[in-house]
Amino acid sequence: MATIEIENRIFEVDGDGFLASPNIWDNEVARLIAKYDGIEEMNEKHWAIVNIIRNNYIENGKAPMIRIICKETGLRLREIYELFPLGPARGACRVAGLPKPDGCV
Amino acid sequence: MGELSKDKIEKGIEVFKNQKDSKLRAHINSCVHCGLCAESCTYYLAMPDAKFVPAYKVDLVASVYRRYCTLTGKVFPGLVGARKLDDATIEEMVDLLFGACTMCGRCSTHCSIGLDISFLVRTGRKMLTNMGYEPAALQTSVNTALETGNNMGISDTDFIETIEWLQEDLQMEVNDDQAKIPLNEKGKEILYTLNPREPKFFPLSISAMAKIFYAANESWTISTKMYDITNYAYYTGNQDESKIIVKRLYDEMENLEAKKCVLAECGHGSRAFRWEGPNVIEKAYPFEVLTSVELIAQYIRDGRIKLDPEKIQELVTIHDPCNLVRSGGIVQEQRFIMENAVKNFTEMTPHGIENYCCGGGGGQLAMSEYNERRMKIGKLKADQIIKTGAKIVASPCHNCIDQLAHLNSTYKLGIQAKTIAEIVADALVLE
Repeated sequence: MATIEIENRIFEVDGDGFLASPNIWDNEVARLIAKYDGIEEMNEKHWAIVNIIRNNYIENGKAPMIRIICKETGLRLREIYELFPLGPARGACRVAGLPKPDGCV
Repeated sequence: MGELSKDKIEKGIEVFKNQKDSKLRAHINSCVHCGLCAESCTYYLAMPDAKFVPAYKVDLVASVYRRYCTLTGKVFPGLVGARKLDDATIEEMVDLLFGACTMCGRCSTHCSIGLDISFLVRTGRKMLTNMGYEPAALQTSVNTALETGNNMGISDTDFIETIEWLQEDLQMEVNDDQAKIPLNEKGKEILYTLNPREPKFFPLSISAMAKIFYAANESWTISTKMYDITNYAYYTGNQDESKIIVKRLYDEMENLEAKKCVLAECGHGSRAFRWEGPNVIEKAYPFEVLTSVELIAQYIRDGRIKLDPEKIQELVTIHDPCNLVRSGGIVQEQRFIMENAVKNFTEMTPHGIENYCCGGGGGQLAMSEYNERRMKIGKLKADQIIKTGAKIVASPCHNCIDQLAHLNSTYKLGIQAKTIAEIVADALVLE
């Protein structure tokens, strides 16, 4: 199992850097993964996206559709890609502590 | 220790026996060990270790063939380098055939005798899959597709709501409340397919294609039942599962009575359906199949859409998806489109059928256990892009786009990776 170290904390991750145990996730973990991706500070919009993804994951066991993220945050599609340059899957879902979604992502 | 049951071995070597034509036998026995393939392989170029040479990967599969399917291999395995299927062989095969090959086929174009090397790698993968050694992540994508109809498990409601949402967006974009993204309509000229990552996470390419169809005044539809163009069973080598997926789209074409099947920008999906599909289902298609790239080029040629290249000033380059270009014959169409859609265009070196794989092919993006290698071989692509100085990298494959986005972040390329349709939609002039 691979690990990543951010600010002296070590996380077990899969080869793509997604948390090996999604249940160790909390806001601090989110902040650290975001930092690892070059997002120095999580703003309100980042948190809104991450919380929706997280809640959807807890309820349905998977990441929400991008439409739901846009609808619930009121953000425009392009804004989401700007906030998470790695995109909703490799970027936002990873920060939200989800396992890697299947398919070409 | 490390022995496999007779039953399991039987399952593995079945792939050598159930061949209806002579292709496998001709290719598996023919490597002349000239070594020309070495420097054509992105794995060997990035990590010059003999085990990454394509001929070595071919010999892995061939050595098992010799052991179980030739007389000398059965009697004097040591003399002919025949290998027994045991844990050590399996481990090496999984590592090299799944974990160190994107099945990009670049080696075949350099092979002195023209062996179809990725076909042999796929045969090896098929052998491993038959014995139950396929990487879990790859198989999960196949299972999800088989169970839910698409590889990301998107529900019908989620899909329909997403399309309706995109339709509203299209109506605003073209300022026409009659603009539509038609679902399940019978008797249309075109049935259009998607890569599930589009409705799930990256719908801009659906909007782009819908805008192009609108501008061309096309008669088209999307099926909610079968829109997924991907076929990951092509990568695991499981022919039966691949067949189910191909057959679904075939059936939906008949069900909706569409004339043409237009494939979204997806390399392996296009190859699996268009070129491998008729062999897999053992039936010729009674309808036309073409990629959206060819369709867009045709629209431009016929004057059905108008583009203004002044709208895109940034320097653009093209990344060639292996399955679409080297193995699919779509080389000039995307370049013709760029000539018409953007002001400044440049080629990477090498390009066209000589281009390097992005590193994400062959199912690599789905298998995170090989992530480190994927980024190493992707460095070749990153260097190619840096040398062009381009700000936009266009590529007609969603899988490549995702790898390019990953390279962009890792190697700080400062580029945008876009599909061909997204670029064309930006350059469109609506009358």
